[in-house]
Parts: sequence; C-alpha cells; structure tokens
Amino acid sequence: MRLLWCALLLGATSLAGAQKLPWQGRMVGASIETKAPQHVQYLFPEQISVAAGKDAVIEMHFRVNPGMHINSHTPREKWLIATRLNVVETPAMKIGAVDFPAGEDYALASMPNDKLSVYTGEFVVRVHIVSRPGQHILRGALRYQACDANSCYPPREAPVAVDVIAK
Amino acid sequence: MKRNILVVAAVLATLGIMIWAGVSNYRRQQREQANLKRLQAMIEATEPAGTTANDDEALEENPLQGKMAPEFTLTDTKGQKVSLADYKGKAVVVDFWATWCAPCKIEIPWLEQFKNQYGGQGLAVLGISEDDLDLDNKSELAKEKQQIANTAEQLKINYPVLYDDANVSTPYGGVDGLPTTFFIDRSGKVVASTVGLAPREQIEADIKKALGNGGGAS
Repeated sequence: MRLLWCALLLGATSLAGAQKLPWQGRMVGASIETKAPQHVQYLFPEQISVAAGKDAVIEMHFRVNPGMHINSHTPREKWLIATRLNVVETPAMKIGAVDFPAGEDYALASMPNDKLSVYTGEFVVRVHIVSRPGQHILRGALRYQACDANSCYPPREAPVAVDVIAK
Repeated sequence: MKRNILVVAAVLATLGIMIWAGVSNYRRQQREQANLKRLQAMIEATEPAGTTANDDEALEENPLQGKMAPEFTLTDTKGQKVSLADYKGKAVVVDFWATWCAPCKIEIPWLEQFKNQYGGQGLAVLGISEDDLDLDNKSELAKEKQQIANTAEQLKINYPVLYDDANVSTPYGGVDGLPTTFFIDRSGKVVASTVGLAPREQIEADIKKALGNGGGAS
C-alpha cells in the first residue's frame, strides 16, 4: 500500500511538471518576457494571524508604479485584460471570494471621451480564506496589464506570498 | 489476493501516467529548443555588418537605427505566408501591436490612411500582433488567432496582420511597450522607429523618410 502512495505522489509530481500553471507565461507573445520590469508591486502583509477553521480576510496591498495604470478587475471593454488574482488552494487552506476594488475613470489624452476603468497608486484586494490550524503559505500572483500615457505593456504577474498562522 | 491485484493495477496506471507526463515534457522541451534554435539562426542571419546611423542620438534611441531590418516570415490572418523580403524595393512600416493595447487602436487608423495616401509611392504596412499565442494547445491557439483576426476586421485594417508565432519581436529589440513601429527604407534599412503612440505628424514624417521623400527625424 505504501508503494501505491509513493507512486501516486511521483505521478502527481511529474504531472505538475508537464502542465502549465494558470499564471505561467505562454510560449510566444509579448508576455513571455520574464526579465521585464514589474509595473505593480505587492506591498503587504507578509504574515497574518487568523482564527483556524473560520472565515478570515487577507487584505493584500498593491501599488501601481507612478505614471502607470492597470485595468481594473472589471474593464469597460471586453478586449481589455482584467486584473485578476491567481492563488493556490491547498487542503490546509481553502480560498473563498476574492474582492477587488472598483476601478477609477481614466482617459487617454488622444481619446478623451473613452473612459477606461483602471487602478492607479495603491489598491487593496481582499481574499477570503479558511485555514486549518498551523502555519501555511498562501502563494499566488496578481495578473495585470499596465499602460502609461502612450504605451501599453504586456500582461505580467506580480508574485505574492503570505505566511498565514492559523490558531 | 484481490487487494494485491488492485495495488498492482494502480501502480501500473500510475507508471503509465508518469511515462505520459515524461513524454509530454520531453516533447515540449524539444519544441522549445527548436524555437530557440530557429530564433538564434534568425538573429545570426540578420546580424548587420556595420552601422550607418546618421547620428549618435538615433543610435541611443534604437540599436536597429541605420541597420538592416531583421528578416522574418510569418503567417497573416488570411493564412498567407508573408516575408519582409517580399517587399524589397518598397518602404515598409512594421507595426508591433496587440488587441489589448488602446494606444495601438489610435495609431492603426492613421496607418490605414497613410497606406492609402502613400501606397502609390511604394509604401507597405505590416502589422505584427504581439498577443500571446499558446503553441501547446491547438484549440486555444485557434481561438487566440481568431480573436486577432476579428479585431483586425473590426478595425478594418487594410494591410496584412501577422501572427508573431516565432518571436520576431526579439531581433527587433524585444518589443515591450506597444505600439512599437519601425520605418524601413527601400534598401531594407531601419531609418526611424517609435515606441508608444507618436504624434500623427511624426509618423507621417518617418514614412516620408522611409520613402526617400525627406521628412523629419524621429
């Protein structure tokens, strides 16, 4: 029986290597440039204490670089790339709703009548979790697509990691 | 006995999955290596012999300034193979854009108008989409290409729109900010380039430069 579990574990590991995670770059296209600079930074928290077995909220703070904007979670045009958060759920930590703030209006100087829904400066994403007792790492990435006044940059992922202590 | 058979069956099934995963990984790595080799070959083949840039400022702005434009062959939204070499003797505007890029959608109608205005003088325009393409997943790839084709149709683009499934943007300097536009003269040299949405007048001046009609520097 022990052999069976070892084999299953190995099989699962091989599969994980063969498949792409949702936020991993694709083979071709502008967004595969991994060394490109980030336009959004994850600020905090790095660690949080929550009540085990109960609904808890992590308020993830992000900052968009000055002079840049990113599409909100609900852009007005369907061809725009929405900001979203990909987090890894584990048996020890269930992920519930993820609440994004409303976007603010923004218009390019050359298209003053076309309002975009964007985030600028600092914004907060609220992630609902339920954790088993213990210390767990919540890992994920914020996928966003940034622009400045004249240029748009390929979608990128800002990594996030939060140490969750559930008591 | 029954339990032993179950265990053996499960182990065999798991081994099968592991072998499948290993083969998938190997195939993917082979494809990536082939892509890389093709790209390296393309870069070597298009390595310019010398610099003939007009001034130091232009050199600072774009390393391709005054050099031969990197060659490429890509497929357009109508399924036709398109090479830069097909346009020998013409002035060519190569515009890197994406469906999610708002400033690109301001520049594109200008390029359509310039194509109409200067096409008779030997101007060609090529749009290269920098939208992500998932080469590993055929159905996803087809959807992504269709979306690019639909956008090109909605924008009424009157020049070929190419899928960049060979990372052509890399020899062009690893295009990051979009739109990025290169202006290539009749001899195949890059005479100007712009990153981001440039004023319409500057784009027209760069087109005239590529055509050999003078115009402002970029």
